Amino acid sequence: MTWWDDALHRATAEVILVGALAGLIGVQVVLRRLSFFTMALTHATFPGVVAASIIGVNIFVGGVAAGAVVALGVAALSRRQGQNAAAATGVVLSGGFALGAGLVATQNGFSRDLSSFLVGSVLTVTPQDLVLTAVVLVVVAGVLAIGARPLLFTGFDRTGARAAGFATTAWDVVLLFTIEVVVVTVGPAVGTILALALIVAPAAAARLWSHRLPVITALAMAFGVLSGLGGLYVSSRWNLAAGASITLVATATLLLSSLLVRIPGRVVPA
Amino acid sequence: MIAPFTTPFMGRALAELALLAIVCGPVSVFVFARRLSFVSDALTHTVFPGVVIGFLAGGVEGIFAGALIAAVLTAVVLTLLTRGGALSDDASTAVVLTAMFSIGVALVSRRSSYTNDLTTFLFGRILTVTPRQIAETAVLAVVILALLALGARALLFRTFDPAGAAAAGYRIGWLDLWLNVLVALVVVAAVRAVGTILVVALLIVPAAAARMLTHRLAAMALLGTMLILAAGYGGLLLSWTASVDHGINLTSASTVVLLLVAAYLVLLPVGLFRARLRRPVLS
Repeated sequence: MTWWDDALHRATAEVILVGALAGLIGVQVVLRRLSFFTMALTHATFPGVVAASIIGVNIFVGGVAAGAVVALGVAALSRRQGQNAAAATGVVLSGGFALGAGLVATQNGFSRDLSSFLVGSVLTVTPQDLVLTAVVLVVVAGVLAIGARPLLFTGFDRTGARAAGFATTAWDVVLLFTIEVVVVTVGPAVGTILALALIVAPAAAARLWSHRLPVITALAMAFGVLSGLGGLYVSSRWNLAAGASITLVATATLLLSSLLVRIPGRVVPA
Repeated sequence: MIAPFTTPFMGRALAELALLAIVCGPVSVFVFARRLSFVSDALTHTVFPGVVIGFLAGGVEGIFAGALIAAVLTAVVLTLLTRGGALSDDASTAVVLTAMFSIGVALVSRRSSYTNDLTTFLFGRILTVTPRQIAETAVLAVVILALLALGARALLFRTFDPAGAAAAGYRIGWLDLWLNVLVALVVVAAVRAVGTILVVALLIVPAAAARMLTHRLAAMALLGTMLILAAGYGGLLLSWTASVDHGINLTSASTVVLLLVAAYLVLLPVGLFRARLRRPVLS
């Protein structure tokens, strides 16, 4: 009996890893206004996951493959002039979700699978899930560290970045892919709604406290981990769904931040 | 082709979809032009806690009131948040969406049959629509269309020239609230019968697909309605045929959505071709 054999211990470790990962990528999502894209990804990778589990392939591979198609599709659709990117994302979202839900419905006992897809089942993570999350965390941190300069430049001044010789389109695709991998990693363990909440809320809260990207990133990761741990505690204390309580704690963090920032006397960087 | 719809429940399902088609065609044009896809998606999720609380408080009759209150509340909160400017639109929408949905899930998770309730919410029960629900949808449809007709000119002005509309004396905040409430009403009218998956699709896809064929708003609305009617009829027929003749369990809501998305994909090249034709004139 090692420490890892307890489901609650594994859940704690997973929540810490997921919180850090979500906070890390969340900063990019919030600054680049990609929340809706992230939402679409969580729904549109669903058919990939379902198809993979029906065929018997690793569901992570299925999710990544479906997400890659979606990321490229959205990138291509929103590059065209006059195309409404929000509408294109919406079409991808509803189409992907309908396809996944339809696929699930052809199998038996589907309502359980569907709800665990939505709200996750953090108490059933396996050691393999933990290793996978840790590996993805390292890889994502690496990619963001290497791409920090071009990503920042492209995000704030696309024309300037292109003039300075950065491959802006390539970096956009890299960013979309990174978000996609995070969503696919986080999704099965904690559910789609929670994935979106953990990516957006801590980063949005951190954004209120500072204007410097390294500070925002560190704060976002800290808020992510704290929301995860706090939510897990609330969930086991009052017997609520774990995913839902983590989301609510993350939202509370954001609300609290937006109130604290307004307290007069604090030096607010304008 | 008509035979399946002579069974009462198929006929009622088609009637419900036809009502929604009449409403969603025009409303989806505004959702498209104002880029409210994310807001519509958020509204479909935020009515969930209302549905749950309504059910806990007043049984089946309470669902409608609960959903209505939650939807209008969300519309107000979203309008306020996007005007406040503390967060960007999409981040605040995402937070409201996840928080409200989680309240619903947390409430449901304390009951025993919770996975079943969630599934119903996602897929709706289009095949068990009651005449009473159709009547409710019809009343809401009339209200929505009346509100839309009243506000159409101002809403259009605000969509294409916000500064001009503000200068002409229109109150932008109230107009935004007006449209958000309209979308919320559509969600309430539809969500119990057809589920969230289908409502999102009905609000986003028709206008996006129709935009490929025309840039005139009235024509877009009409085309959108026709697309929903065609997809609704085709989807119900397909899922009926698949499950009755071939034993495949094809949910009607998913089939209708997939047909709508297929129409969008088929029309996509037409739109790109039209854009290419027009470009020399513009530049």
